[in-house]
Parts: sequence; C-alpha cells; structure tokens
Amino acid sequence: MSADVSDLSLVHRVQRGDKGAFDALVLKYQHKLVKLVMRYVRNPAEAEDIAQEAFIKAYRALPQFRGDSAFYTWLYRIAINTAKNAVVSRDRSPIEYNIDASSDESYEMQGRMKDSETPEGLVLTDEIRSTVNAAIDALPEDLRTAIVLRELEGLSYEDIAAAMDCPVGTVRSRIFRAREAIDRRLREVFEGGLGRAEELG
Amino acid sequence: MNEELDSQLSAMFDDELAPAECELLARRLSRDGQLKARWGRYAVVGAVIRAERGLRLNAPLAGRVSAVLLAEPALAAQSAPQGARRRGLRWWQPVAAGGLAAAVAAVSILWLRAQLPPGIPAGGQLASAQPAAAPRFPGAGALPASVTGVAAPGERYVVPHSSAGPAMVVPSTELANYVVAHSMFSSPVARRNLLSAFMTSEPAAAGAEEAQDDAKSAAH
Repeated sequence: MSADVSDLSLVHRVQRGDKGAFDALVLKYQHKLVKLVMRYVRNPAEAEDIAQEAFIKAYRALPQFRGDSAFYTWLYRIAINTAKNAVVSRDRSPIEYNIDASSDESYEMQGRMKDSETPEGLVLTDEIRSTVNAAIDALPEDLRTAIVLRELEGLSYEDIAAAMDCPVGTVRSRIFRAREAIDRRLREVFEGGLGRAEELG
Repeated sequence: MNEELDSQLSAMFDDELAPAECELLARRLSRDGQLKARWGRYAVVGAVIRAERGLRLNAPLAGRVSAVLLAEPALAAQSAPQGARRRGLRWWQPVAAGGLAAAVAAVSILWLRAQLPPGIPAGGQLASAQPAAAPRFPGAGALPASVTGVAAPGERYVVPHSSAGPAMVVPSTELANYVVAHSMFSSPVARRNLLSAFMTSEPAAAGAEEAQDDAKSAAH
C-alpha cells in the first residue's frame, strides 16, 4: 500500500474547499504534534497553542502543498518552525516567571496552572488513559499483539502479518476488532463525561 | 454503524486502504460527525498505547482549530478569484506579444536602412544580384576551390562580398583616378606599382590605364 494515501485523499478534499476533511487531519495528528512541540516548550498549554497555530498555518499553506513529501512530514516541519519562532519571541518578551524554570516539575506545573480547565482536563485525561489501558489488557492476545505492533512499533500490516504469521486481511481484521473493543469503552467516557470510566470499572 | 465501513475507517487510519476506497471514505469522513468522532478516538487509543505523556486526550485542540477555521474562507474559494483574475488578464497577452514582435521588426528594418551606404537603395538589390552572378561561374557551385585546390577560370578575379560590416563600395577605377590625380605626392615607381595592381584587378580598365600611363611616360 502506498504511504500517505489516506492523508492525501483528505488533503485534496481540503484543497477543494472541504474544511471538514481538515478536521480529520487535525484529529489524527494533534497528539503527535503537541508531543513534538513539547520538545521545544515544556508547558503543555503553550504546546497546544503552538500546535494550534501550526495547524492554522498548515491550512493556509495547503494550496502550496504539492505532495512532494508526506503530509505529516510537511506538517511537522511547520510545527517545528512555529515552535522555534515561539521560543525566540518568548525569550525576547519581558514577562518573567517567578517559578524556578530549572525544575522540570515546577515548569510543567506552571503551564498547567495557566489553564483554567486543567484540573478537570487532567482528570479526564487520566480517566481516558486508564480506560484504554484496561480495554487493551482485556483484549485477546492476538488482537492485543496486532494493535500494539501497529501503534507502538508503527509496523505496516504486511510486516505485522509476517511477524504474526497470518494473512494481511487477518491483521486488518484483528486491528479493527481491537480498536472496536477499546472504542466501545472509550466512547462511553467521552459521551458520559467525567467519572463514567470509574463506573465502568 | 456499518461494520465494513468501520473496518475501512480503521484501515484508512493506518494508511492501509486502497486509494479508490480512501477517496470515497474521505468524503464521508469529512461530513459524518460520528465517523469523525470515531476517527478521533482511534487517535486517542494510539496516543495512550504510545504512552504519550503530558498530553490532554480530551481533544480540545481539534475543536479550537475548527473554530478558528470557521472564520477562514474555504481554500477553493480563496483560489477561485485568483484564477478568474488570471483568466481576465489572459486576453492581452497575445496582443502584447504581437506588438512586441512588430516593434522588434520595425527597429530591425530601421537599423538595416541606417547601415546601407547612401548610393544603394534599400529593397534587396544585393539579394537580386546574387542569382545574376551565379551563371557567371557555372562550376563554382560544384566544389569550392578550397577543396579542389584549383581555382576556376576567372574566379581568382572575383572579390567575394564581405558579409561582416557595412560594404564600402569604391570602384577601383575611381580609386585609380584618385591616385593619378594625387600622383604628384608619390614617387613614380610607387605610382606605377600601384597602378599595375589596379590594372590586374580590373581587366576592363587595364588597357585604357596602360595606354594612359604609356602616354604620360612618353610625354615625360
């Protein structure tokens, strides 16, 4: 399967004026992008702001994207440049923080405290994480191996098929069924809101 | 939810769906809120498995980006006026190109006219003289003298037209008369040598010049 096909199909839709397709690209890459930006800024709220700016820049620059590189490579480049510029402008700004920046914990806490929704958001994030982990633990061995090889190791279906000694179609089915089982629980967390995951146990 | 559709969505998320199916599903994904939410949860599952720490997984970022982009014009709408402007400007391009070519041609003609000597009318007399000269040397076109090493009869008397620079047409008869008229300033030996050279270069005038020279010598 040629790489980046699904991204390109979404990109082409955005280039033809379909903003909804860009939502799908943001949903797919938002976590990876924030994680990337956090190499430059440790403050999670600031990293989200920079990632947001990077996505908007990417949207505006999308008419110039010709597909010479993979979409995510292009997007990552924009995010890195945005993060570097943000760091430079922040260093020039006269605002001083009273928190000891040499301490990772205090620096991270500083960013978290800036976000008024952070406490609830953090709890929800923890809830999401524990729900997904519990759902993965409950998966049959073959489904768990397939989804972990895909998401953690980034292997292609063909490589997973070779590793698990099964047809590619089986890999596709196993990954889908694993996602469905996890999503069934996760959907309730998202739709039920905070505390729902604890009820599900 | 259609299971086959969800299976395709999962494969598309992993970049493992055929391009044709991707096109169809991308269209549906961009419009179907439930499908999009599922797509977003697949991303969350991946982030948890990769143990990406410090991230907020309840996806406020996507909503914020979407809200900002609501105020943005769609990309196709952005590019459409540019295309229309290009189409609008397109009509004058051939007109301008034609005008430029005509201007270059006019300047070239004026320049050529300025380069011609005053006695020669413009209009290609040199070009018409060339075919007339060709029959004078029937064998000249067969093989050039530089190849054969033997000049054709009469060919050695022909001075080829110089293609470089403006032609300075001074008939050798006039030049000879000029030299004779100013002979008082030159020695007799030098004058004779010069006149001999003229006579050999212009056979028609050679006899007359020789007779004139003999008469002058006899007189002296």
